[in-house]
Amino acid sequence: MSHSNPEIEKALARRRFIQSAGAGTVILALGGVYVLSDDLTREARAQTLSDGRPRLPPGQRVIRALRPMGGEPGDPSPGAYRLRVHGEVEAPFELSFAELLALPQTELSLDVHCVTTWSVLGAKFKGVRVAELAARARLKKSARYVIFEAAHGYTSNLSLRDALKPSVLVAHQLDGAPLPRAHGAPVRAIAPDFYFWKSAKWLTGIRFSDHDEPGYWETRGYNNHADPWKEERYA
Amino acid sequence: MPDGAAPTLLPRQRRKKANLRPWLRALHRDIGYFAVGLTIVYATSGLAVNHLKDWDPNFKQVNRVHQLVMPLPSDDEAAAKRALELLGVAQPPREVYRASASQLDLVFDQRTFHVDTTSGVVHEEGQAARPLLRIANWLHLNRGKKAWTYVADSYAVFLLFLALSGLFMIPGRKGLLGRGAIVLLLGAAVPVVYVVLSGGP
Repeated sequence: MSHSNPEIEKALARRRFIQSAGAGTVILALGGVYVLSDDLTREARAQTLSDGRPRLPPGQRVIRALRPMGGEPGDPSPGAYRLRVHGEVEAPFELSFAELLALPQTELSLDVHCVTTWSVLGAKFKGVRVAELAARARLKKSARYVIFEAAHGYTSNLSLRDALKPSVLVAHQLDGAPLPRAHGAPVRAIAPDFYFWKSAKWLTGIRFSDHDEPGYWETRGYNNHADPWKEERYA
Repeated sequence: MPDGAAPTLLPRQRRKKANLRPWLRALHRDIGYFAVGLTIVYATSGLAVNHLKDWDPNFKQVNRVHQLVMPLPSDDEAAAKRALELLGVAQPPREVYRASASQLDLVFDQRTFHVDTTSGVVHEEGQAARPLLRIANWLHLNRGKKAWTYVADSYAVFLLFLALSGLFMIPGRKGLLGRGAIVLLLGAAVPVVYVVLSGGP
């Protein structure tokens, strides 16, 4: 049935416009919160860590391999590499790549959680514990925080207590192979209990500080502590 | 007076209204043209970095495995030269680094060959920059020099002007008094509905 009255046609056209615009708004809004589920994620959600926390932090999805998340690459050359350990320490020092490899090595199977909601479970990282480096540098009592320094001025910060956990590494291998360039070759930090931006790629220094210094992302709206289990994504 | 009838009133001379719309349109048009370049930079880079978890918007990743015909010479430089011959790489490496008894790293600007000198297996890995997108992302994320902050701030002010001037450009029922108001409210509802449904920060 058609309406010949132009006023009625106009009113109907307006109604159709409002209806489709309203539907579009709801679809846009719902689209943002719709999240696909998958088997890996479901399995991980059923698991718990030894301390009782769920293995998968809230809001995370499991993927199979680390994704390169950008950043301005540093020099990947192992021959030119230097790691500077300094700040509130009695014995600051520098290590070449070969000297880093000569220190006691730790290989750990770790879960990492990116703030963009992906997680990789059981990634194998090999390297030296930050606690080992701290012991060699002999910390002053004033040391309270650790600042990871990386290429092009990137930094991230942890409290000393968090950085000295046995799972926090200066890593040079991933899954049995040299750390790929996209993941910070030749050496990156790994701090698995925190969102992954804390694990600075292309690591060049570890500075012990008597005060907190929010890093690159922490000063750009991301959370200073970054605990995935508390979903501390943003400030 | 020609007769006793009341004289016809002359229409009151209309007072000229100050009409800002032509100015608004002209400014909206010119600032709009000026902002096109920056809008393309920010919009394409925004799309790219919004999906960081799905792809690397700055680099293409290279990951290949090769098998060399063995044996390789025992001297590192000679082994590197032979390995590169077998791999068909003519360019000399930036560095030849003995990472362990069985691993020789051949480092180039954009890729590294990790050569297992006992098995002949070579892992080639590296990344090649996506030229334009990398620059757009670099600008968008304000990773350059501090001066870019002024450009970005000015662009943000321009966008605010475009949004606000756009509200008042069209008079009547297709403007803010009719259809425009409905679309404006719908647009404003998108973030509100999203925050309500997602629980917000």
